[in-house]
Amino acid sequence: MAEDKVDSRRRNFLWGIASGLGAAGAASVAVPFVRSMLPAADTMAVSTTEFDLKTLVPGQLVVIAWQGKPVFVVHRTEAMLKRLPEYEYKLKDPESLADPRVQADWMKTPEQRLTRAIKPEYLVLIANCTHLGCIPLFKPSPGQAEWGSSVPEDWPGGWHCPCHGSLYDLAGRVIEGSPAPFNLYTVPYKYLSDTKILIG
Amino acid sequence: MIEKMLNSRLAQWLDERSNIVQMTRAHVTDYPTPKNLNYMWSFGSLAMLVLVIQILSGIFLAMFYKPSAVMTMGGYSVAFDSVERIMRDVNFGWLIRYMHAVGASAFFIVVYMHIGRGLYYGSYKGPRELLWMIGVVILLIMQGAAFFGYLLPWGQMSFWGATVITNLFGALPVIGSFLQELLRGGFSVGDPTLNRFFALHYLFPLLLAAIVGGHVHALHVVHSNNPTGIDVHEGKGTIPFHPYYTVKDAFGVGVFLIAYCYVVFFHPQMGGYFIEVDNYAPANNLQTPAHIAPVWYLTPWYTILRSFENKLLGVIAMGASLGILFLLPFLDRSKVRSARYRPVYRQMVVMFFLAVVVLGYCGHSATSPTLKVIGQLATAYYFAFFLFLPFVHKFEKTKPLPEGI
Repeated sequence: MAEDKVDSRRRNFLWGIASGLGAAGAASVAVPFVRSMLPAADTMAVSTTEFDLKTLVPGQLVVIAWQGKPVFVVHRTEAMLKRLPEYEYKLKDPESLADPRVQADWMKTPEQRLTRAIKPEYLVLIANCTHLGCIPLFKPSPGQAEWGSSVPEDWPGGWHCPCHGSLYDLAGRVIEGSPAPFNLYTVPYKYLSDTKILIG
Repeated sequence: MIEKMLNSRLAQWLDERSNIVQMTRAHVTDYPTPKNLNYMWSFGSLAMLVLVIQILSGIFLAMFYKPSAVMTMGGYSVAFDSVERIMRDVNFGWLIRYMHAVGASAFFIVVYMHIGRGLYYGSYKGPRELLWMIGVVILLIMQGAAFFGYLLPWGQMSFWGATVITNLFGALPVIGSFLQELLRGGFSVGDPTLNRFFALHYLFPLLLAAIVGGHVHALHVVHSNNPTGIDVHEGKGTIPFHPYYTVKDAFGVGVFLIAYCYVVFFHPQMGGYFIEVDNYAPANNLQTPAHIAPVWYLTPWYTILRSFENKLLGVIAMGASLGILFLLPFLDRSKVRSARYRPVYRQMVVMFFLAVVVLGYCGHSATSPTLKVIGQLATAYYFAFFLFLPFVHKFEKTKPLPEGI
């Protein structure tokens, strides 16, 4: 019985292929388990938010929820918009170029980079401070008259984050000296009609 | 390859601090195992595999399941809706839930085969009495876990099954009503019941994992029985566990997974045996379904319960039918283990398997006078088997045992 000898090459091949396939099978079982932890269909179904801008009066800010995150919607007045360029020398990133998250597809012209909005008067941004995620306080009037020493003397109006003191102007652009690295992040949104926007 | 791993520097470093290599050799790779084990010995490792599947799929289900009987706007309950959300909205939720539901039945199939193997080949006999008794504890915890788990979808069968079983405890004298309120947390099965059943359903498998560790430890002290039932001495009749039984078990796992996956993907409800159709109707505490029966793996004991006209007697008989399993190693006095060499016991034990199947069938069917009598006969045989066992060795002529294997 010369055939009784072990052919270890064939045996190793069988070992390799059998344990390899077994490992691949076990690994592929991980796919449904990991996928199950990602947002479910009902969560995805509410991933957009509609908002009617008519409900805002000039100068008003609202915080609405989109995918569980807070979003600022501000109706800026003419005066507010006029003040935007005056303060640019003190901004970290006046043209919103530092990070993809502070930009948007439609943000092309210098005017759009200044106002950071599709229609200048309506600003829509993620409401979390880019430092550590608190929601900054809306302090729209210029100077310290209304806000005391929480803002600098030459305050142009904007947001002040109560957590670590980051400051943003009325286009959500971060002011030099703030711990926050970036301007407030943009949100994907589009106009469904003249006054209705769809966020997401 | 395993030899290379065990000799690696990392393994040696760990071994000096934890004995891990020594333990792996003693309990896995070099563990001496009888060389003649047949495929009936695969069910132990399969049971461990299914336990892992159940714990894994269960943890993921618990990420989406909500144990609340509070009514929702749609007129269902939070719990029922969360199960439907798992089925419809959660990515692969249907797969994970079917894995878990089919896994429950698979667990009992595998464990009943494992127990049947032990009965047939006399694995419960000395020196393996404690090993057997730990196994019976595992069975009881499994049945508890299955019962708690069945309430969670908060369907009609969930609700009325839990109502019936908690009423069983209520039938016990003196402590009955106390036990019943303890289980229910109210005067009927309701929101508090659901909440605590979820907690217990999560706890029991962890207990199970720990006790399975004890079961395996006890096994490795007294070593495996084998189809001949004779004592096997190290060296002569044994081979190392690896690679012979790792490969044999892996083959068994492959065959099992083909069957398991087929059911999971093509017949997850198994015609109402694995998931009862009535459980897709939300729980209604004002209306009992027309036909109510436990899931198949509990039906044999349900028939024993139903076979007695007296409520208390039925409850006691059902408890005794499980409790008597603890006594089995001491009831059987024969010196020969395996049914292969015990002609009388062999017929008795095969009849016993049949009786359990008949009991299961009767428990799953709607009550009828004929089935009731058949169920009573099977119940009678179930107990007769145990009562008769202490006397079998007095007249049974056992066949000569082989010298070795």
